[in-house]
Amino acid sequence: MTSLITLCQKELRDLSRNRSVRLLILFLAVVVVLTVLVAAADFRTKTADYNTYLAALQASGGAVTAPPPDLFPLQMLRAGMEYLEIVGSLFAVILGYGLIAKEKNNGTLQLLFTRPLGRHSFAAGKILAALIIWTAVTTALFAVITATLLIAGNAPLTGTDLIRLLIAAAHTTIYLTLWSLAALALAALTRAPATGLILALVLWLVVVLIIPQIGDTMDPDNQIPGGLFASLQIDKAHEHAVMANFTGYETARDLIEQTSLTKQYERPLFAWLGIKNQYNQQSPAFVWAGTFNHSLWLLAGFAAAITAALLAGTRDKLLRKA
Amino acid sequence: MPESEGFGASSGFSYRQRHKLLSMTEMAIETSALAKTYGSKQALEALSLEVPSGEIFGLLGHNGAGKTTTVNILTTLLPASSGTARIAGHDVSTGADRVRRSIGYLPENVQFYDNLTLAENLTFFARLSGVPDPAARIETALAAVDFTGHGQELMSTFSKGMRQRAGIAQAILHEPKVLFLDEPTSGLDPQGVAKLREIIIGLNQSVGMTVFMNTHLLAEVTKTCTSIGILSSGRLIYQNSVAATLEAFPDQASLEDIYLHIESGTPS
Repeated sequence: MTSLITLCQKELRDLSRNRSVRLLILFLAVVVVLTVLVAAADFRTKTADYNTYLAALQASGGAVTAPPPDLFPLQMLRAGMEYLEIVGSLFAVILGYGLIAKEKNNGTLQLLFTRPLGRHSFAAGKILAALIIWTAVTTALFAVITATLLIAGNAPLTGTDLIRLLIAAAHTTIYLTLWSLAALALAALTRAPATGLILALVLWLVVVLIIPQIGDTMDPDNQIPGGLFASLQIDKAHEHAVMANFTGYETARDLIEQTSLTKQYERPLFAWLGIKNQYNQQSPAFVWAGTFNHSLWLLAGFAAAITAALLAGTRDKLLRKA
Repeated sequence: MPESEGFGASSGFSYRQRHKLLSMTEMAIETSALAKTYGSKQALEALSLEVPSGEIFGLLGHNGAGKTTTVNILTTLLPASSGTARIAGHDVSTGADRVRRSIGYLPENVQFYDNLTLAENLTFFARLSGVPDPAARIETALAAVDFTGHGQELMSTFSKGMRQRAGIAQAILHEPKVLFLDEPTSGLDPQGVAKLREIIIGLNQSVGMTVFMNTHLLAEVTKTCTSIGILSSGRLIYQNSVAATLEAFPDQASLEDIYLHIESGTPS
């Protein structure tokens, strides 16, 4: 346990002083916060316009009141979450690769493994460090996002909204750590860490981009920009009636999408933040019932990544591949 | 008994007597029929070696002779294919963690974590070695390598020679019984070599630390080591004290000539 904590502390200190890591995380934070800032400014403008309009109506003495626009603060996070999903996971791969590559390339493994370390201490120290790093980054990022919504967007966030943000942050931490650990395991398993990085990038490409893209392409509603049903002016009830004739096709499409852990992350994330319309303004119980299986799959993927990193990061395997 | 007995015996020097004396002394390093194969290549062949405590032992041999393989097995970085090896009384395969607590190791190109300071690097390795009070031990280790005052410098600013000295400091933090040095003078300038020699001899004389070093620099061996072994194609072909070796080959001008003479006399 002592050596695990020592290894983890060293890793955190090393990473916190690594200029490339700091730049990557700063870039990610700036991109995500910028998207939220733009959406928040738009939200603020629309709310102000509505309030001005309402005040003018009241001043004119009219009895008519305008219904409030459909503005939901958490939906402003969509673009930012997509950046975390795609760019964040890519950076997580690079960070995970770096955790092993620097030890292999520098030759510090020999100094480490002439010390009395436990079989899994080395990998466990790295795993813990990756988890702490991503927890810290995600917590800080979501705190800034929340502040941006409140200050720049003047958005009325409720207690439930804050819980939804917390759940989204937890999912994001697990998702990003998972990618770091997958890259760590692959870099540990290959003789040249760069080969591990290439394999991790191929995996990232398939899971984050290709599979979700196949699912999107197969979606009948995505065949026309703006949506097939919307362009045909078919309402939701009729859309469901039409789609009932394609249940086999939809099941196949859904299964393909679900093979991607990115989708297992995106679905609960978008549901909790109300980005997915069917979950918007629904109770937490409703959202949980509809998405817990995806959260469990994400957790299963996380557990698999931890196991892979632990098994790949033993002294025997690392020295054989060093 | 190593095959080298013939060379040692020819000197008239008391190799047998010495060996008998050694058997009564505590052995820091003992190997018996140690072998290592990589696929079909025999890197090390039936290595039987005894290094008593307090020696500075130099393992010589040409590139690919099996020196680094030997050090890697003795430092538990590599499993042997067959045979046994004991360091400070502990078996390298069944008591690997006890061996690791008993040894210090300086690889040929020692590397540290460049984003950390020297003191942070040493604290890290001291904690992994189970040193209870790293700060005090680091101070002692830095003083031993004449490096006091450099603790707060980032490793990325260190030259090759400074890294070697820092490497020695990390290797002696936990006061090991046996210190393994793999080509310690490789890439150092003459001043660096002299400084390193001074440190190694100092450690040996002050605390009686056994030193096992691989090296190519035969002039350095004469100045630093108390005994030598010569590996050729994975086999130990000679083992004796440096003084006895020099005495045994009066016709040869230097240890380098003796080494070449012994090497050329080896049946292939």
